[in-house]
Amino acid sequence: MLESVTTTALTSALSGLAERQRAIADNIANVNTAGYRAKVVSFENALARSVERGDGAVTATVRESTAATRLNGNNVNLDTETLANIEAVLRYQFAAQAVGGTFSSMQTAMRTS
Amino acid sequence: MTFDAIGIAGSGLTAHRTWLDALSDNIANINTAVAPGDDAFRQRYIAVESAGDPGGVRVAGAVWGGAEGRLVHEPNNPLADADGYVRYPDIDLGEQMSHLILAQRGYQANAAVVDRAKATYEAALQIGRR
Repeated sequence: MLESVTTTALTSALSGLAERQRAIADNIANVNTAGYRAKVVSFENALARSVERGDGAVTATVRESTAATRLNGNNVNLDTETLANIEAVLRYQFAAQAVGGTFSSMQTAMRTS
Repeated sequence: MTFDAIGIAGSGLTAHRTWLDALSDNIANINTAVAPGDDAFRQRYIAVESAGDPGGVRVAGAVWGGAEGRLVHEPNNPLADADGYVRYPDIDLGEQMSHLILAQRGYQANAAVVDRAKATYEAALQIGRR
């Protein structure tokens, strides 16, 4: 129960989303840095496949964006980064609530006999 | 490795504020005249670079513009030489103002990231609380 697919998958999602927020913060901090390439974090597809296998543990992968660069060699798009950041925050809150929910179900199970 | 977003956004705030400081210094000195024999006020460009692990940006240093400036005929200026010339810095106000907007928007974007990272921390702190 404590090591169920649900908790493992939710923990993977929390780590992946935190990693994505780190990358987005990096991209926005470097929005005016010449030659900087935006970083993209992905884990959702790997997580879905892992859950199907009955595992749920994945690590997020980081790659450089292949979007077109501006004249200074930078390809950070502030609009997409801002949207991705808001989405990652909301998803993080959602996953954190789900983790809390799993734990409270465990507590209920422990209390009743 | 994961909860670095606030520090990274903080480095972005620092870099953009340094840029704003340099730009306001350049604009403040746009009409600083000197005697033709002296160096004109040199405008300052801020060079930044990506900071590697865990991420963020840092100021790599300042790049200084030329000291030549341009000579202006102002015979009544007390700094003028025998021919009536004084030296002004060669700063393009339009360029400085457009950079000022870029720096300001960059600063605001980083400040917004701090806010959103805070919301994430708060969600994480709620895990296990009933």
